[in-house]
Amino acid sequence: MSKIKTFKGPGLRTENIPQAKHKKNKWRNIRWFVLLFFNILFFASFYFDIQILEGSLSASRFLGFHLIDPLAAFQVILSSRILMVNLVIGVITIFIIYLMLGGRTFCSWICPYHWLAELGEKIHLILKHHNKIKEHAFDKKIRYIFYGLFLGLSFLTGYTIFETINPVAIISRSIVYGPALLLVWVFALLVFEVVYSKRAWCRYFCPVGVSYQLIGYVSPLRIKWDKEKCSNCKRCQNVCLVPYVLHNSVNKDNSMYIDSGACTRCGLCIDICDDEALSFGLKYLDKII
Amino acid sequence: MTDKNNKTLMNRRRFIKTSTAIIVGGTTLAGLGATPLLRSQTVLLRPPGALEEDRFLASCIKCGQCLQVCPPQVIQLANITQGFAVGTPYITARDGGCILCAGLPCVLACPTGSLNHDLSEGKDAQMGLAVISQPDTCLSVRGKNDIPHRINQLINGQTDTTNSRHVITDMFSRLTSSEKETVINRFSLTDLKADTVNALVRKLENEDLIWLKHFAKSAEFSMVSCRICFTECPIKSEKTILFQEKTDPESEQTAIWPVIQKSCVGCGVCEERCPTAEASITIIPRKKWMEVQG
Repeated sequence: MSKIKTFKGPGLRTENIPQAKHKKNKWRNIRWFVLLFFNILFFASFYFDIQILEGSLSASRFLGFHLIDPLAAFQVILSSRILMVNLVIGVITIFIIYLMLGGRTFCSWICPYHWLAELGEKIHLILKHHNKIKEHAFDKKIRYIFYGLFLGLSFLTGYTIFETINPVAIISRSIVYGPALLLVWVFALLVFEVVYSKRAWCRYFCPVGVSYQLIGYVSPLRIKWDKEKCSNCKRCQNVCLVPYVLHNSVNKDNSMYIDSGACTRCGLCIDICDDEALSFGLKYLDKII
Repeated sequence: MTDKNNKTLMNRRRFIKTSTAIIVGGTTLAGLGATPLLRSQTVLLRPPGALEEDRFLASCIKCGQCLQVCPPQVIQLANITQGFAVGTPYITARDGGCILCAGLPCVLACPTGSLNHDLSEGKDAQMGLAVISQPDTCLSVRGKNDIPHRINQLINGQTDTTNSRHVITDMFSRLTSSEKETVINRFSLTDLKADTVNALVRKLENEDLIWLKHFAKSAEFSMVSCRICFTECPIKSEKTILFQEKTDPESEQTAIWPVIQKSCVGCGVCEERCPTAEASITIIPRKKWMEVQG
């Protein structure tokens, strides 16, 4: 029944496949440091009044430059029917930054909800390992429907409805301005993810990430896969936060660079790879440089 | 491919389809249905320059940058109890009114224009309108001076040290030179400069406060009734409150009332500073002066 054609790379080292523990966490540590650093910077900019990164993840100013979450900006434009110059500047700045950094990089390197979800995933996997829970999957295309749905709703109702329930914004505001009652909703989401469906919000629903995903399709910064070094052990797909993104390369040998915008450039696959077959690379630009 | 495998696959597909339908349908219905329910029931006092409420809610991106730049730090973010207003900025006038700072930093910080950038001066803001909501407690209507009342609150321990400093400084600034002499002798001070007064406030005993209260009652300024709402008003270019003879519509008694003028923008400083236990002057958010007159 498997339609997946398994690619047998050169230098297949079968004896290496079932390797239990892996201690190398270089990129994860760097990534968590960056994530905590920026979220603490948001907090400190207000609390200690150091004014470097003012605002929250919906909209902020970094040393005076407007940064605005694209989804929040689109909602505001659709619901208020006003096109503010600051909004446009903020969205373009974000677009340029993430075009250089790889789109969904936002998710795994900045988003505080993603960090909580990553911890939740660990608990989920432990529970699953002990057969306490069953894994449930949804269709990953739901997120595009959600994206369109919430944009449509803000146009129809004249309210930025998604911003009322946006867990990313809720956590970000709670970090900067103190906890709010809506954290209960965020907590409920996390519980749902832990006991029912692994990282469900980020994988199937979050429309915030979809904006960044669209940037990710064109961004040159990608995970690069070296076919010559790969022993095809598939452990990268076990640790990958969005396992199907590696499919086209590692399984099908169709692409040297991970071609999905859904890849969060988290680097977990690079850490786990013993063959040094995976690394950060720049599509289109590697050859020129 | 075995039958069992096939069956699981079909089950899985059906599950994915139905769950997707339920989730998408549910969100649409919930979104449309909740819209009227989630409209805020209470009208909130918004920072200066706020667009008309519906457009304000539509355009506010809920980032809180206005709050960050607010010099007196009076802006707060609404909680989910205020429905769609969650995450939007508002001011609780009694806890701290907007002082209409020069340059209006909150308006400049707003990335979406929810706080309209056309507003350049505090005196043109339209946040709301002050009204004398409790004329029976209003010291001005009752013809009483505020200082004895405020010292009384200090004696009863209702206020903190910053407030005691305000009260005592206020009182001393209104004394005539001969009255100042009396105070200097009573507390064996050298002068009544800010530092000396601050030092005095810190070691004031209850009996001192009682003496000050009686002294305030006999002082010359006690002839003038309370005008805190007027003197504290941040708008100085025009008179926002005039003290005029007015008949109370309920009790039909005539007294000198603080009468709010057209130039009031509803910043809330009068409500914050009103010396009565519960503010006698309060802000009605979004209310316009014309609506009250006609």
